[in-house]
Amino acid sequence: MRGNFWVFLVIVLLFAPSLGSANPSGVGEGAFDAQCGGACHGDADMNRSSASTVTLLGEAVAYEGLLTSVTVSIENIETTQQGLLGVFLLSSLAGAGDLPSDDGWVIISNSEGGTDNYVEITVSPSQEQRNITWTLRAPSIGQYNLYAAIHHGTEDGSEAPFFGQSITPMVVDVLVVPEDLPRLTSDYVPTTQRMLGEATKMNVETTFVESVEVEWRIAGGEGQSAQVTELADGTWGFDLPASLQPSVIEWRAHLEGEGPSQTTPWFQLRSKEASWTVDETAAYAQSFALIIVFMAGFMALQQRRADEVMKTELSDHEFDGGEL
Amino acid sequence: MVTSNTLHVVSTELTVGSFAMAGAAFLFAGLASHGLVRLERHLNLFDQVAHFALAFGLLAMPMAIATGIASSPGDGIDHPLLVNKMFLSCASLGLALGVLNVRRRQGSSIWAEEWGKRWQMLGGMAASGLILTTASFGGTFSRGESLLDMLHLPYDFVPLMPLWLSGLVLLVGLANMVTGRKASS
Repeated sequence: MRGNFWVFLVIVLLFAPSLGSANPSGVGEGAFDAQCGGACHGDADMNRSSASTVTLLGEAVAYEGLLTSVTVSIENIETTQQGLLGVFLLSSLAGAGDLPSDDGWVIISNSEGGTDNYVEITVSPSQEQRNITWTLRAPSIGQYNLYAAIHHGTEDGSEAPFFGQSITPMVVDVLVVPEDLPRLTSDYVPTTQRMLGEATKMNVETTFVESVEVEWRIAGGEGQSAQVTELADGTWGFDLPASLQPSVIEWRAHLEGEGPSQTTPWFQLRSKEASWTVDETAAYAQSFALIIVFMAGFMALQQRRADEVMKTELSDHEFDGGEL
Repeated sequence: MVTSNTLHVVSTELTVGSFAMAGAAFLFAGLASHGLVRLERHLNLFDQVAHFALAFGLLAMPMAIATGIASSPGDGIDHPLLVNKMFLSCASLGLALGVLNVRRRQGSSIWAEEWGKRWQMLGGMAASGLILTTASFGGTFSRGESLLDMLHLPYDFVPLMPLWLSGLVLLVGLANMVTGRKASS
């Protein structure tokens, strides 16, 4: 009983470090407030200021319930040996309750293919600048601030965690939607992910729109126009070419109608490789079966010997002395 | 701070090191019991080292599996190498449990008879070999290369049985253990 206690205690202690670890390999994307920029590394007071410059770029005006995009630009990037960098989009820097959703923003997508306010990117050693774009649905009418923040480690991993933030917030005025404004429908959500090698038929749903032009580009490249056809009243379709390697295609639509012409934000469509899947239940069942069948098989093999052969106990002298 | 990746390296080294030592000791025990290379007088030593190292490796194995799952990227089993690693380590686990069980039941006399000593040696070495192969797969998964690459193993092929067949195999194994236990008692 006493022995079991010590074994149990040792096992618990062995697991304890992983429970209290600082996640230097990252935590993956998720919904995290700014406090996590410190708390994920232990005490927020331990943070040092990052030398990177964080800037927010986007439209100063958005319309209630319509889509807009915000780009976080990080310059003079410093990060760990693996190049891991965490980037936040925040509605304040209070440390709690500062997710964009706390102000009513809805994240439709980010350029890493997710729908969260925190993304982790891998930066190559020579890269000094990186942009991350979020597509958001605007909240109710009013004036809102948006902030960006980053956190990262150092190359040798020996120093404190670093935290950086945008010096000034980006102020967005959310206005009431003009009656005849050509626009995407209020519930339109663009496709943000697809598999490699698939050409993609995209649909655009609009209101007060008489014609649509679509422009697309490989992220950061030259723009090209796509042929748009009207599929139904207010529904338009166009094709985006297949990509042969993981990449991001950006597209936007120019909307014409009776009201002032509008251009949507750039939407990102990320191509990724199809993930490998397996029937996990079958795999676990087979693993358990393998344990039992190998154990039983070997015992049966040696049982045969025990049954068929007269068992001869060796004396200690014979065994130790190798007199077999 | 210690991450599950680091703990996985520690626990894997404990497991693989113990199994490697057990494998070598089983080989020497087998040679000694067959009266080869003048090792007969060390049979007791090899026997105890082999089974102790095997048991210690088994104790370290759950920690290696748990930290391995915690440190692997993504959710669940999303790579054929991970499934093959799981199959190999489970086969090794079963074989090692069988070897230790036989040794506990039959004592040192297992080395006194031709059939027993041959299979005890091969069983122990096979369990060790399976774990070393598992570790090599781990190297291929995390670093993209390992010593076994020269064998051109089909890493991407997963010999997955249907669920019903795994259930059947499991039942046969359990029935075998129960009948064997009854017969020996």
